This record gives sequence, structure tokens and C-alpha cells, in this order.
Amino acid sequence: MPERQKIEYGQLVTGYEFTPSSYKLDSSVVAAYLRAVEDTSSLYQDTGLVPPMAIAAYAMAALSDAICLPPGTIHVSQEFDFLDTASIDNTFTSYATVSKNQSRGKFHLLIVDLNVINQHQKAMLAGKTSFILPAPSEGT
Amino acid sequence: MGIRPGELTGLSEGMSLPELRKVITQENINLYAEASRDFNPIHINEDFAKKTPLGGTIAHGMLILAYVSQMMTAAFGRNWLAGGNLNIRFKTPARPGDTISVGGRIASIEKNESQTLVRCDVLCRNQNGDSVITGETSVRIAK
Repeated sequence: MPERQKIEYGQLVTGYEFTPSSYKLDSSVVAAYLRAVEDTSSLYQDTGLVPPMAIAAYAMAALSDAICLPPGTIHVSQEFDFLDTASIDNTFTSYATVSKNQSRGKFHLLIVDLNVINQHQKAMLAGKTSFILPAPSEGT
Repeated sequence: MGIRPGELTGLSEGMSLPELRKVITQENINLYAEASRDFNPIHINEDFAKKTPLGGTIAHGMLILAYVSQMMTAAFGRNWLAGGNLNIRFKTPARPGDTISVGGRIASIEKNESQTLVRCDVLCRNQNGDSVITGETSVRIAK
């Protein structure tokens, strides 16, 4: 994934759409993912199928690349819907939209909706991720 | 009584999901950072992490969530890949040296003419019994 300019989370408003991010999951990427999570399921052996959480991990990485998340950020909750099976060498495009960025005393609640489609524009994954962050300091 | 991995006949409420047990190592965490492109120093830089309130590195929440997905795949096969849903909360960080037990139980089964919807409660605990992840999953099984 190419390096992108990050936005300060204090600047995010509801409805903000991040620049879409595209990524291809080839056999080496999927093999590295399966090794990292110690997944030896026969479902992924010689079938060409991609674990849905690998797609999710890349969507989350794209989101992390787009926001300045300060130390102290806590990933509090996560929702995912796995909508269709994905195959090795598929190319995915991840879309992320701020659904809430709310100050709560010393903290911020940031909720981002995620949608991932494949190269045929087919919806593959939808999700919602929630972070609690320390309130931005003055001037940020 | 538990679900036999991949065997979807005879599902009933209260059945346990096939439990997983994973030992978290810094090597696992580093591998996951590489595989997911998530290089947040709280996961991989011990010197940095020691100076934070967490006092040391922690596993990516998404790594532990991958174990939940692995359990669901073992139970429901391809149905999970295209028809799975999860809705979880991260409660306590998992750290190198922790043993994480991943388990769950069928909470409800709804059948209609075209599909069966199986809802499950899932829980990941560390070796001290602390909840690491709590939440719900569901899977649609087409007829």
C-alpha cells in the first residue's frame, strides 16, 4: 500500500470519506497471513480461498495509514460482515467513512464504517470499527 | 455437547463451538505486524511499549479476532466466509506469554424457508480468566 498523507483525528467530521485504498492479496501475502495467525484449516489449503480476516486486516491497515492515531488510542469494538468468498489474486478496494467523532470529556469516540469491494465491484466485507482516543491537545 | 467441526446437522442451542487455545509470543505478534502491515510500536517495539501505561507490548486486537474467525471457520466452514458476522468488544489486551482460550456457544437458531441463522456468544479469555474479547457472532447457512 502506498504511503498516504495522514489526517489528524480531531479534524475528522461525520461523513468524512477517506481516500479509497486498493490492495491485492496474492498467494505469498495470504500464506504469510495464515502463518502469522497459525491457521492450518484445510479450507485454505490448495483451494485459493482467502480468509476473510485477512481482507479485514488490510482494510484496517489502510485506515491506520490514513489517520494520525496517537499513543493511548484504544480499539474498543469491531463489527464485520463477511459477504462473499474471496480468492487469491483478487484485488480489493477499501472505503472508509467517519460515522461518529464525538468528544466525551477527556476522550474522543471515533467510529468508522468500512466497506470493501473486489475488482468486479462486488461487496465483500462491511464493518464498523470504534476507537477511544485521548482528546486532541490545543492547537491540533 | 459440541459441534463437530464442519458438521452442520444436528445443531442445537447451547452447543459449544470447537475451542482453540493459542499461546501469544512476540514472534507471533511480529509476524502478524508484517502480514497485516500494522506496525504500531505498541505491538512491536518493547522499549516504546515499556514507557506506556500498558508497560509492555500487546498483541493486535485483530490477531485475537482472527482466532475467533478461525474457530467459526472450523465450526461452519465456507458458510462463515460468505455469511458470517461478528460484533465484539476488546476488553483486556493480550500480551506475549499469555495463553488465550477461544470458545463460544450457540445462543439461538432461527430457520426459515431459505436459510438457517445461527447466533453464537463468543469469549476469549487469558490464562487468568480475564476476558480479552466478548461478543456475538452469527452465520447464515443456506438450504
